[in-house]
Amino acid sequence: MINAVLVFNNSGQPRLTKFYTQLDTSVQQRLISEIFTLVADRSSSACNFLPLPPLLATTPSAAATPTQPHNDTPSLITYRHYATLYFILISTSTESPLALLDLIQVFVEALDRLFENVCELDLIFNFEALHATLGEMIVGGVVVETGLDKVVRGVREQGKVKKRREVGLGGADGLGVVGGLGMGRGWR
Amino acid sequence: MDLKATALLKLIYLEMFGHDMSWASFHVLEVMSCPRYLQKRVGYLAAVQSFRPDTEVLMLATNLLKKDVSSPLAPTMSLPLVTLPHIITSSLALSLLSDLLPRLSHSNPNIRKKTVATLYRLALVYPDTLRSAWPKIKDLLMDEDEDSSVTAAVVNVVCELGWRRPRDFLALAPRLFDLLVDGGNNWMAIKIIKLFATLTPLEPRLIKKLLPPLTKLIRTTPAMSLLYECINGLIQGGILEGTDGAREGEEIASLCVGKLRGMIVVEGDPNLKYVALLAFNKIVSSHPHLISMQQDVIIGCIDDPDVSIRLQALDLGSGMVNIDNMIAVVERLMQQLRNAPIASRRVDDGRSHTVSVEPAADSDGEDPEETLRPAAESQDETTALPAEYRTIIIHQILDMCSKDTYSNITDFEWYIDILIQLVNLVPITGQSTPELYGSSGRTLKNSSTSHEADASSAIGWELRNVAVRVSTVRAEAVRAANSLLSVSGSEGFFALKGAGGEGILTFVAWIVGEYVDGSVSSYHSLDSLIHPKVQSLSPMVICAYLQAIPKVLTSIVSQRLLDWSSEHKTMMSLLVARVIHFLEPLAMHSNLEVQERSIELLELMRVASQAITSHGLENDRGPLLLTRAMPQLFTGFELNPVAPTAQRKVPLPDDLDLGAPINKSLPRLLQLADQGPLAESEAAEFDSFYNKRPLPRVATGPTFNSLASLGPEPSSYQQTGDSIPDTDTVMRKRNQRRERNKDDPFYIGNDDVSSGTSTPFHDILRSANGEDVDVDSIPIMNLDLGDKTLTADGSNMETRRQKRRLPKKFDIVKDENIEYEDSGVAQSETASMGTMNDNGPFQQARDKTKKSLLQVDSRGLGSFSLDNSESVAEQLDIERQEAQDTEMAKALAEVERLRLEMQRASERIQATDGAPAEGTLVKKKKKKKLKQLTGDIEAQFRKPNPEADGGPVRGSQDADATLIAKKKKKKRKPEITRPDDEKELRAFEGGQDASSFRSQAVL
Repeated sequence: MINAVLVFNNSGQPRLTKFYTQLDTSVQQRLISEIFTLVADRSSSACNFLPLPPLLATTPSAAATPTQPHNDTPSLITYRHYATLYFILISTSTESPLALLDLIQVFVEALDRLFENVCELDLIFNFEALHATLGEMIVGGVVVETGLDKVVRGVREQGKVKKRREVGLGGADGLGVVGGLGMGRGWR
Repeated sequence: MDLKATALLKLIYLEMFGHDMSWASFHVLEVMSCPRYLQKRVGYLAAVQSFRPDTEVLMLATNLLKKDVSSPLAPTMSLPLVTLPHIITSSLALSLLSDLLPRLSHSNPNIRKKTVATLYRLALVYPDTLRSAWPKIKDLLMDEDEDSSVTAAVVNVVCELGWRRPRDFLALAPRLFDLLVDGGNNWMAIKIIKLFATLTPLEPRLIKKLLPPLTKLIRTTPAMSLLYECINGLIQGGILEGTDGAREGEEIASLCVGKLRGMIVVEGDPNLKYVALLAFNKIVSSHPHLISMQQDVIIGCIDDPDVSIRLQALDLGSGMVNIDNMIAVVERLMQQLRNAPIASRRVDDGRSHTVSVEPAADSDGEDPEETLRPAAESQDETTALPAEYRTIIIHQILDMCSKDTYSNITDFEWYIDILIQLVNLVPITGQSTPELYGSSGRTLKNSSTSHEADASSAIGWELRNVAVRVSTVRAEAVRAANSLLSVSGSEGFFALKGAGGEGILTFVAWIVGEYVDGSVSSYHSLDSLIHPKVQSLSPMVICAYLQAIPKVLTSIVSQRLLDWSSEHKTMMSLLVARVIHFLEPLAMHSNLEVQERSIELLELMRVASQAITSHGLENDRGPLLLTRAMPQLFTGFELNPVAPTAQRKVPLPDDLDLGAPINKSLPRLLQLADQGPLAESEAAEFDSFYNKRPLPRVATGPTFNSLASLGPEPSSYQQTGDSIPDTDTVMRKRNQRRERNKDDPFYIGNDDVSSGTSTPFHDILRSANGEDVDVDSIPIMNLDLGDKTLTADGSNMETRRQKRRLPKKFDIVKDENIEYEDSGVAQSETASMGTMNDNGPFQQARDKTKKSLLQVDSRGLGSFSLDNSESVAEQLDIERQEAQDTEMAKALAEVERLRLEMQRASERIQATDGAPAEGTLVKKKKKKKLKQLTGDIEAQFRKPNPEADGGPVRGSQDADATLIAKKKKKKRKPEITRPDDEKELRAFEGGQDASSFRSQAVL
């Protein structure tokens, strides 16, 4: 199953955090920063799989015993880098690494359709829609939908997804995180 | 409320940045209960992000969740479905289960698939969920017309459940197989393959069935992920090994390997490279030869710019090497180490950085390529390697070489040379402080045992191993050790390099000391051993040095045994004086171990120096202390490697019976002690004295006890003493005593009289062996020394090697072990130890402690059976309750109907007042019959299991029975009365009559 979905930007500011297990806020933050330090150093040509950060690393003896090919321990961190954002999936060994990469791709494409040429700013102002999209794809760590059209339809059923500042959150400027990161830059 | 929702939304945003929002949980609940969907959504989102199992308002949310789950609007309904997995607790699961189950058959596929996923998470915290939900989930899976995405979701869930109890899912195999063959959904196919990989070990027949479609998929699929998972499934499911007919298995294996090779070479995608190497890593254990055929690709990957890919390739390395490619691979790695500049600057930066900012992660040093590339470009396009990676390379080289007790090495001089070179390449990121080491060497720490904690001591370990095991190159090893030692002493090489390189010195010093006779220049060694710089080394190293010094010294002495001249005498006294000079400051070393050893040695040296000075020149043999006594301290048996398991195999001597009483008369003595009140109280005193019980308790306890024990026995009887009481009373007394002492925390409980004393173990041994213990007679082991050639694979290997025009034949000493037990036992022993560790009672505890972050605890599910055959027998309480309820309702309805029926009948009878006698007769008959009928029904629902036709279809049978009864009645009805319904209402008396009937029925 998928243990967590994280999205943060190039400077490590989280844009979406979704943990499918309950964690303390401080631990979440530590985990994010650890993964960020891991991911930020990687060149674009490197592969999209990360070693486990210290917080998640366990002794190998606890890992898969020969009699049991899988276990509950998160063992796989897959990421993908789009423009200014990193998309991270933390999952157990029951997920296929390459399929997860595709899943991220579907997620981003769905966002792209919903926002029409999505950028980081859209996600800041409209992160509710971001959550909604994720909710259409993954429920409780289980992937429920991989079809792009169905995801988009599912989100649209919940209400119109608006572009940029039209939706509430008028005070988002006050948060001081807008900073023009990836403004208007397309995903692909 | 709109304002509140907006505020909450902002709060969620802040929460994402690490600000606690648990204080707002009540407001979250408020917004959750908003009627407007968009606000509600905000509320639910807030719940997802901020609620924890211990959030109090969760209790209040239950009703709201129940309400929303059964909302008529699909979007509203899906909100709690998505939220529940995050906040679920077992009590919440219990109360919501009944609301969730109907959602599995909701008309909207969207809802259905989300419900399936939610139920899975419910099952994790509350396994009983599955009992009621599983049949429905299975129906969803089996339904051919089901929406494809729902099927996919179900497959996902089944896959998650599958690995926990694969056996329960075997029944689903045919359907899954169909889905795999013509599902058309790659994601689902991947999951199914993953599931099958866990199923095949249980059902070997599946392999045959699976093989054709899988190979077809591998050959044809354009999707890389599916291809990879097919191969992975083949590997994990043990299909490669499991195929009957080795040829077929080989064929598939080589097909897989070929495809994987294609993934590495052709695609050029780092991800594919990485996963292909991962797969290689899994195959390598079963098909090493196939992998070594791919070594060119793999070695190519070792030079990949991506460190993760390199690491994977490296991991493969040790599995891949064989006697042919060994040297090439190692040389390649060495070259990589040599060419890459040591990333000193960067690492230093990283260190200061991490210390100041964030001590937890030193991953800045992880991949310094980007920043260092300009500097490194001048050097052959190589990139600086992070220190961590260097250490891993070194370890891998060592692992490759030492695999199977050096079976791959043909030239040990080369190996020693490599080792020496490696010493110079050990990264500096010194593990100067354990904290720093903890962060930088985390991968290492995970993968290595204590003795090879850092690279240099691992090298030292290897060097020593070679020196001990391979006697032919021992001289070479000693020479190497000497050179290392002198370098370290005179130039302060390691002091410069920081603590990182020190690890090897311990081993080097040991080699020099132990095999000093082979060394040409003992003086030289001694010089470097007592170099003043040594004192700045770490205590561990100094200890090793201190042990080596006297060994070297005695060897120097013994070289000059025959000509003891004045010249020699002065030289010796000079040497001894130097050693003393070296030792004196160490005697005040802060480390206790160093202190102790140096003081011991210091005293010895002082005695030796006295002996030298007092020794006259006339005796040409030199002082006895130096020539005889000291060498004897250090010469003796040659040390040989001993297997770690050898100690356990030391057989128990035949004459040693650990169960035998030490003192045969002990029981009698104890009995005697039990008899006399004097002895008793004495024993009690003893007890109290030795156990140092607090005084007040001593005062009350024992006196009370002795009094109590006096009670049942006549004192005169006890005074006589010579008459031994019958065993009964003895037993009784003993039991009393035991009872008394049971609660005494200071008393060591004893079940057996003979083992009651706290005799140390060696005493038992000694007494059992008799007075004169002959140490030599204890058969510890048969020492079969060095002359045993180690060819792990027997003669086949041997001949092969000989054909290979070996320049030298190396004898590698195997680990010593007890002869009569072969290595298979050792293996099985370790294996059994492993399984013990795995399955033993510690497992649970360990699981608990080692539970990783983010991990979902699903142990509850593991023990949960889904077996359908049992499910009837062990129906869930709720279900049983439900069934009973429906039965009851049915029965009640029947009663009611019958009552009405009777009412009607009586009315009719009443209505036809002046009817012939026939009518009344029928009425009476009918009354009787009805009474009997209702009685029957009563009986039926009073005991839910009617003997005659109990079973699952009970309810329907009942219904049938009553139906028949009704039919009978109806048949008769037309005969008696006109079918006149209005009359019923009019007839008042009839109602009374009916009520009397009812009372009868109740009776």
